[in-house]
Amino acid sequence: MPPAGIWIDGLVQSCIYMTMAFGMVLVFSILGILNWTHGQFYMLGAFVVYYAVTAAGVPFPLSLLISGVIVGALGMVVEKLVIERLTGPGYGLLAVTAATMALIFFFEGAAGMAFGLMAKGMATTLPGVLDMGSFSISYQKIAVIIFTLVIMVAMYIVLNRTKVGKAIRATAQQPDAASLYGVNVGWVSLIVMGIGCSLAAMAGGIMGPVQSVDPFMGRIPMIMSLLAIVIGGLGSLTGAIVGGIILGLLNSVIAYKISYFSEVALFLLVIVILLIRPQGLFGAAPK
Amino acid sequence: MIIGRYYIDQKSVVPKIVIGAVIALLALVPLFTTSMVTLSTLISSGIWSIAVMGFILILRTGQFSMGQAAFMAIGGYVSAILTVRLGLPYWPSFLAAGVISGIIALGIGLIVLRAGGTSFSIITIAFGEIVRIVALNWDDVTRGASGILTKPPAPITIGNFEINFATNLVPFYYFMFFLVIASALFFWQIDRSRVGGTFRSVAANPVLAEHLGIHLMKYRVIAFTMAGVFTGFAGAYYVTFISVINPLIFDLWKSVQIMMMSIVGGPTLIVGGAIVGSTVLYSLGNYLTQLPVANVQYLVFGAVVVLVLLFLPKGTGLVDLWGKFWRKVFKEPEEYEIPGEFSQEDEE
Repeated sequence: MPPAGIWIDGLVQSCIYMTMAFGMVLVFSILGILNWTHGQFYMLGAFVVYYAVTAAGVPFPLSLLISGVIVGALGMVVEKLVIERLTGPGYGLLAVTAATMALIFFFEGAAGMAFGLMAKGMATTLPGVLDMGSFSISYQKIAVIIFTLVIMVAMYIVLNRTKVGKAIRATAQQPDAASLYGVNVGWVSLIVMGIGCSLAAMAGGIMGPVQSVDPFMGRIPMIMSLLAIVIGGLGSLTGAIVGGIILGLLNSVIAYKISYFSEVALFLLVIVILLIRPQGLFGAAPK
Repeated sequence: MIIGRYYIDQKSVVPKIVIGAVIALLALVPLFTTSMVTLSTLISSGIWSIAVMGFILILRTGQFSMGQAAFMAIGGYVSAILTVRLGLPYWPSFLAAGVISGIIALGIGLIVLRAGGTSFSIITIAFGEIVRIVALNWDDVTRGASGILTKPPAPITIGNFEINFATNLVPFYYFMFFLVIASALFFWQIDRSRVGGTFRSVAANPVLAEHLGIHLMKYRVIAFTMAGVFTGFAGAYYVTFISVINPLIFDLWKSVQIMMMSIVGGPTLIVGGAIVGSTVLYSLGNYLTQLPVANVQYLVFGAVVVLVLLFLPKGTGLVDLWGKFWRKVFKEPEEYEIPGEFSQEDEE
């Protein structure tokens, strides 16, 4: 058995992948596209938190909310300016996929020019460790886990108990019928994109103290959460959560056992799952 | 073509004589200038354009491969290992690079293309990452992160005229020229042949194509393997040109770059789009890296692709802009609208 610290690291990673994957699935179920720029919203969120905490002296929890709002608004702008215009009739999936991939480079370049390429540390936020006898957990990692639980509960409430959530679920099931019943589908797309991006931004912000903040930090979480939603099943929220847990834990626990080739094992696992069940673990069977 | 509704009959757009003139002009470039910067930009753009042609051929079957850089890496590593570590002459290793890359593409394709669509894209990403990690950690063969320094091909002597790759770039330029022309002819012929038409039908409506007796897997694998062979050649030649191969040269972001080049050039035209896209983006990137502003090339790359997608009609890329100009000035358009039931958006 790997030591407890490895499991906790795995859990922290799972939490981040889960939060990101949740946002991506939400966007996918409404807009029908994979938002490849998701990792860059994670990165931008981390930068907003970094500058809010270090330059403006805003308390950490408040700066998380600020980054969620700012980056969520940015996500809405992207939806309005780019995605909506490329998903009309006459466009296939290629155009919007290519556009969101190009935005990866756009945001990374913009962040590199604005904030510099140097990695920035904010380890002094939330210092200290919780001593558990045989092992210890830093408060930063506890914060990540609590944050994820809060987010998941909040998302559950929003999706199942509010009117907006009802509109989102109806649109995901059947957009035409939903719009017949008075749901503004364009507006729902905008809201969902905002929610997804602010989730990514807050995940980036909460991970800021654990790792360092740099313009390219979003690439690995993006790929991992993408893999998570694909093995979990595109469009399935449960799948996103389970996929995130599987990937996060495997990533650190396998790495403990077979260092270098753990990533190979991870990718092979993804390939095998996709070949056996192309619709993913929790996806609906193809019609 | 799946991304747009409009299919342009390219025969009417640019007459052959203009294409011939452009080719002749490009063939004469080393006579006008032997500047390192110009030649190396053209050589690299040409090599990337071959990879882009492969990407567009796979796109013709409706699949979106995100692992094309991995095949360049395989080609590059095969040629580097055969020439430097086993001491074989260059040209047989160059051929071997394409063949081995093609065999790997065939094997991967047979397994992976069963899962089409998004799953296929994700699997190719995973495949590219696996290639990169293996190259990084298999020290005995690939020398890990430090990579392998490649040697230029040995001088070829014909009579008292010697072609020496080590001293200047002109031989590299002409071999690149030959390689691009050869691949362009190959892909162009494939694309307009019956097989190319079958690729399109597989993409446009898989169910209908299958009912007409077209074996979907067979044509997807054919396209993937052809792309693999030529991408392997491109990789083998590229590492010889830049004289080093390491795991960072062909990572996932280079696959994304290949995709971006095809979008900017325009995937409706397999040869023209690939060459225009790779030349424009590569030269632009090369120019921008010389600017003192860090990271500006990423920003501009992303912006160019998004702007091309937003403002050129239906994502047809820069070749179509040229076609539009040509039609407006010289000739009336012959534009066909693809009937609604064949485009994917109208399935629902």
